[in-house]
Amino acid sequence: MSSRDKILATVKGNQPEQRALPNLPLGGSGGDLSGAFIAMLESIGGSAYLVSGYERIATILREQYPRVGRIISGCPELTVIAETGGRYADPHVLEDVGLAVLTAHFGVAENGACWITEDRMIERALPFIAQHLALVIRCQDIVADMHRAYEWIEKFEGAGAAKGEVAGVAGEKGGVAGAAAGMGVGSYGFATFIAGPSKTADIEQSLVLGAHGPKSLIVFLIDEGLSDAGFY
Amino acid sequence: MSGKDHAALADEFNKDEPRVNWHDETLWWVRQKRDKAAYKVPEWEELRETASRIKDNVLSNLSEYLQQFEAAATANGITIHWAADAAEHNAIILSILRRHQVDKMVKSKSMLTEECHLNEFLLAEGIDVVDTDLGERVVQLAGEPPSHIVLPCIHKKKEEIGEIFHEHLGTPKGNADPQFLTHAARLHLREKFLTRRVALTGVNFAVAETGEFVVCTNEGNADMGAHLADVHIACMGIEKIVPLRRHLGVFLRLLTRSATGQPITTYSSHFKKPRPGQEMHVVFVDNGRSAHLGRKDFRNSLKCIRCAACFNTCPVYRRSGGHSYHTAVAGPIGSILAPNLDREKYADLPFASTLCGSCSNVCPVKIDIHEQLYKWRQVIVQGGTAPFAKKAAMKTMNWVLSNPSVYHGAGKAGRWFMLNAPFTVNNGLNPWYKQRDMPGVPKESFGEWYKKNKK
Repeated sequence: MSSRDKILATVKGNQPEQRALPNLPLGGSGGDLSGAFIAMLESIGGSAYLVSGYERIATILREQYPRVGRIISGCPELTVIAETGGRYADPHVLEDVGLAVLTAHFGVAENGACWITEDRMIERALPFIAQHLALVIRCQDIVADMHRAYEWIEKFEGAGAAKGEVAGVAGEKGGVAGAAAGMGVGSYGFATFIAGPSKTADIEQSLVLGAHGPKSLIVFLIDEGLSDAGFY
Repeated sequence: MSGKDHAALADEFNKDEPRVNWHDETLWWVRQKRDKAAYKVPEWEELRETASRIKDNVLSNLSEYLQQFEAAATANGITIHWAADAAEHNAIILSILRRHQVDKMVKSKSMLTEECHLNEFLLAEGIDVVDTDLGERVVQLAGEPPSHIVLPCIHKKKEEIGEIFHEHLGTPKGNADPQFLTHAARLHLREKFLTRRVALTGVNFAVAETGEFVVCTNEGNADMGAHLADVHIACMGIEKIVPLRRHLGVFLRLLTRSATGQPITTYSSHFKKPRPGQEMHVVFVDNGRSAHLGRKDFRNSLKCIRCAACFNTCPVYRRSGGHSYHTAVAGPIGSILAPNLDREKYADLPFASTLCGSCSNVCPVKIDIHEQLYKWRQVIVQGGTAPFAKKAAMKTMNWVLSNPSVYHGAGKAGRWFMLNAPFTVNNGLNPWYKQRDMPGVPKESFGEWYKKNKK
């Protein structure tokens, strides 16, 4: 008998009587989601900018990271400041990336996290190996909590048809959303929630930003109704 | 029992009182952060109850969920392995490494591999394993096991870490600045991430519905390892399954708030398919869990999501240190898990508790930890594996308490000795006098007083 069969047989024999799955909490909604998201992100070491569009993003990034070196982006609008060519044969060539600018799908107000699937990462390693990371979402794409987040993920995993409507910034602009044929906009082989910069408190509980991944994280919230006047 | 027991090991830790106080206060601070985070979520208790009931469902359908995960993950291109015990787990890892002719590997945090003593095993086979979580790297360089499942080097002062880094990474002697040391580790480990072809990670949750697994880190080390390696091996205990992906919403809300008071870890990475050209393996490990599932009074401990809230709140853990538990998972939860693995070796652990119940109150999946500690004590004493001194003391107590004349005589004698010859009881042989003073001795017992004043 293989270990597999042995384990399954013992488990089966020892399983307690059937217990039903509970209903899940309904999850939050309403309120000032972008305000809550920004406050939470700042409390976990990230920063946020409300912007009118990519021109503004390019300006802010130039000012914030004047000597960051190599910049890679999944946003075709940022060709002026970044390599936007797409895929790399070997993730190791990303070793010297100073800044990555990627579009995420949505943010989560309760914890400041952004959900990003691999089709928007260029390479899976990129959001982790870059010295600094910037994520772009639309201001209206913020959900209240993790229950709502998984509802979003479920809904859009198979929703290939409604691409323009749901794909967020990049999809709408016809950018890198490029989900392969037959897969929904939200489908993924790898995806992650990113909440703030990489961090550790392993040495005497002293918080240090920049453990192995990015030392800083900016989230840009695009509000197309916004005017640049008066900003900055 | 072989080796030193919890009390003896705690004794060693307690020799340095300022350090014990510091350890105690640091962990209590983490516990307070947990409280603040939990209080901010109005539906916190509903979340705990829901999580607990999801896990009830998992335990009652585990064999089906494991097969469901296996089918979905296999369809996604992940290779599934089944390990009955630690030895088989270690052999599977070694065989994957050998097949790729690799003798170096990076590893992110996995308590399961600690439980299986994977590092020692691979080292003996000539494989170099680098732990990449900062805290784990510190204890690895120090030649010690982690003392806490979330904060592996919480027992170390920054000066000691500075010294370890000076010796192994060549940082300047005397520099103990956490920012500086973390940066030194970043550079040191980046080189490892970039040059290792195999990465091993743990698993926080595995979703039966989709065949994906989730790994949570703050540092990003699991992702740095996995995405740069040709081969990603993820090891998980069979109890890590959740039925549906949407259940992750419940568990991810609870996990870090309970652990460190953060709203979520920096990275909650969902691995569903290997990237093109990559190999991805999941190793299911039983190692006593399937038998444990059959123990009605104790099976609930398989719900554990390894947040360590019970460590941080425990008055015994905070003052005895993680190493006093001599097991991979220390603290209250470790004290009820370990006896399932080896009842004799860990017979001391259920006694390393005041049964105050704080662990059960903070547990995000509502494991009845202190009740299980109490039940384990009964099983252990009845099974005859209680520590010798404890057995002898219980026997004596039994004799004294069941013989009224012996009881009265013993009380009288005790009072006389404490009054006239305190050194006979107040000495190093009597464990009750460690860190304790006894109250003043009354002239008579309550029984004697009652007899006199009855009228």
